[in-house]
Amino acid sequence: MKFKNLFNPRNIFILIGIGIALAIPLIFNTSQYVMLLMTTVLLYAILASAWNIIGGMAGQLDLAAAAYLGLGAFTTGTLLIRWNITPWVGMFLGGLVATALAMLIGFPLFGFKVKELWYALSSSALVVVMQSLFMMWNEVGGPTEKYLPTGTSPWYSLRFNNYLPYYYIMLVILVVVLLVNHWIRYSKLGYSLLALGEDEDAVEVLGVNSQSSKLKALAIYAFICGVVGGIFASIYGYIHPAFFDTSMSMEITILGIVGGMGFIYGPAMAAIVMVSFREFLRASLGSQLAGLYLAVYAIILILVALYQPRGIAALVELGMKKAKTYFVELTRGRRADIKSN
Amino acid sequence: MDVEPILKVTNLTKNFGNLVAVNRASFKVNRGEIVGLIGPNGAGKTTLFNAISGLYRPEEGTIFFKGMNITNWLPHRICRLGMSRTFQVTRAFTHMTVEDTVRVGAYNRFNENNVQDKVEQVIKVCDLVDIRKRVCEDLGLASLRKVELARALATEPEMLLLDEAGAGLNATELAAFMDLIKKLNQESQITFCVVEHVMQMVMGLCQQIVVLDSGEIIASGTPNQISNNVRVIEAYLGKRAVHARNQ
Ligand SMILES: Nc1ncnc2c1ncn2[C@@H]1O[C@H](COP(=O)(O)OP(=O)(O)O)[C@@H](O)[C@H]1O
Ligand SMILES: [Mg+2]
Repeated sequence: MKFKNLFNPRNIFILIGIGIALAIPLIFNTSQYVMLLMTTVLLYAILASAWNIIGGMAGQLDLAAAAYLGLGAFTTGTLLIRWNITPWVGMFLGGLVATALAMLIGFPLFGFKVKELWYALSSSALVVVMQSLFMMWNEVGGPTEKYLPTGTSPWYSLRFNNYLPYYYIMLVILVVVLLVNHWIRYSKLGYSLLALGEDEDAVEVLGVNSQSSKLKALAIYAFICGVVGGIFASIYGYIHPAFFDTSMSMEITILGIVGGMGFIYGPAMAAIVMVSFREFLRASLGSQLAGLYLAVYAIILILVALYQPRGIAALVELGMKKAKTYFVELTRGRRADIKSN
Repeated sequence: MDVEPILKVTNLTKNFGNLVAVNRASFKVNRGEIVGLIGPNGAGKTTLFNAISGLYRPEEGTIFFKGMNITNWLPHRICRLGMSRTFQVTRAFTHMTVEDTVRVGAYNRFNENNVQDKVEQVIKVCDLVDIRKRVCEDLGLASLRKVELARALATEPEMLLLDEAGAGLNATELAAFMDLIKKLNQESQITFCVVEHVMQMVMGLCQQIVVLDSGEIIASGTPNQISNNVRVIEAYLGKRAVHARNQ
């Protein structure tokens, strides 16, 4: 791993953020509702950060996050229900199953250079297809929920009666996913992905195998979604084909774009702001206007597209650059003062 | 003894629907040469480059590079074998910095431990030190042309195809560009095939010239032979020019 770029000043803010996230449940007497909300925010932050690899870096407008998440959930859930296999193992197998599906569709799609709108449509169809399949497959899915047994040990079956452990598990995964993002971004794969996201022909004549680079990005993304799907099933305590949720896929893509394509911390930042906001809307408006948040998302997306196509992370970068020059000038000014005295 | 040419194209044909963009083209490039590919607009020069570098699949014909049959190879494999190129309409990685752009190419032969050395070397050779941290979308055409050359150079090619790399440059920039190509040819032994419109540049730079017109190779030879070739003058200036010359 290349940690050279890891210790730059902006990452201090990320460290502080992680510190705060660690401390919140310990300092405040947070209700179960707030814990679930914060866990959900982390879930979206993880998924949006994973999306950043295929969407932000490789520039593929992927809309299949929920397909991989759902598959991870069903794998983990089914293994626990049928064979009492712990979700700690199940979620990684879920990640592998999700990766296998991703390779199955990624190989032909990238082979034929299906891109942009066409890739978005194909990947989005995957979510719908998976939902229909699992709705019909009664042994594993079907129209009624299949509940995960609590078993004897909550740590074995990953079934807790409060959200605190899930919250910390999600936080650990988020940190790992951000590190993975960082590692990819500053490796050969990251440079290749960023470049092929801009011009595929140009990158190929520089010796980059664009198909295999995109497949690697897709595999990592799908694996993360699958693993998180396993925890998702544990949190909700059941599995159901509704987990293959098209609007969730859409939301993750929007978070990735709004956060800043290719910026490591952008999508997570967007998730924290926008998912909290969404939940606030839901809490204050109740069940009236249930889909309102998507409309708000759409408006934010349009604003970003119009004024800052590189996302809010680009805006933050700009702000930091300005602050830095200001700071440098300030210190120079002071030094000049000292000399003149 | 006759040495084997580094690039040997035989009977290459590329169609777009009914349009025959390149028609049974055959030519050779010897190792160490700078070969000029000239011809009027729409002659098929870019199409020929696209077919050689693997971006297009030719309908017919074979391409041998370094003795290997690379016909229908994918572009990245051809690059790994030692051929890279630039584009007529610059295709920069708009949001990447100059340095990162060069790094993409440098990873072709280098790994995490030594890629930076190659990046530094190429940035120096191509005179990009001052703009290395700039983002490509902020650069002018002259800089973009240099960046495209630099990233191709970073792949450590044995042969480079330059598609109108001098187009849009002013006289000073063009002269500097020519000097750089000459230097790379002499010091790094890179073989070049260049498409160029500025005749002075082609005549001064190239040992061999290939002329393409309506997809067909109508002449090839030394700059001197080409400038006296009737078919070439016809293709460029029309039949009346040939009449005028003969009277
Ligand atoms: N992708 C394409 N699709 C259809 N026709 C093309 C395409 N690229 C080039 N052509 C046609 O092929 C011919 C040769 O074009 P090109 O190779 O670009 O010529 P040159 O580079 O010599 O100016 C032209 O008639 C052009 O219109
Ligand atoms: Mg051309």
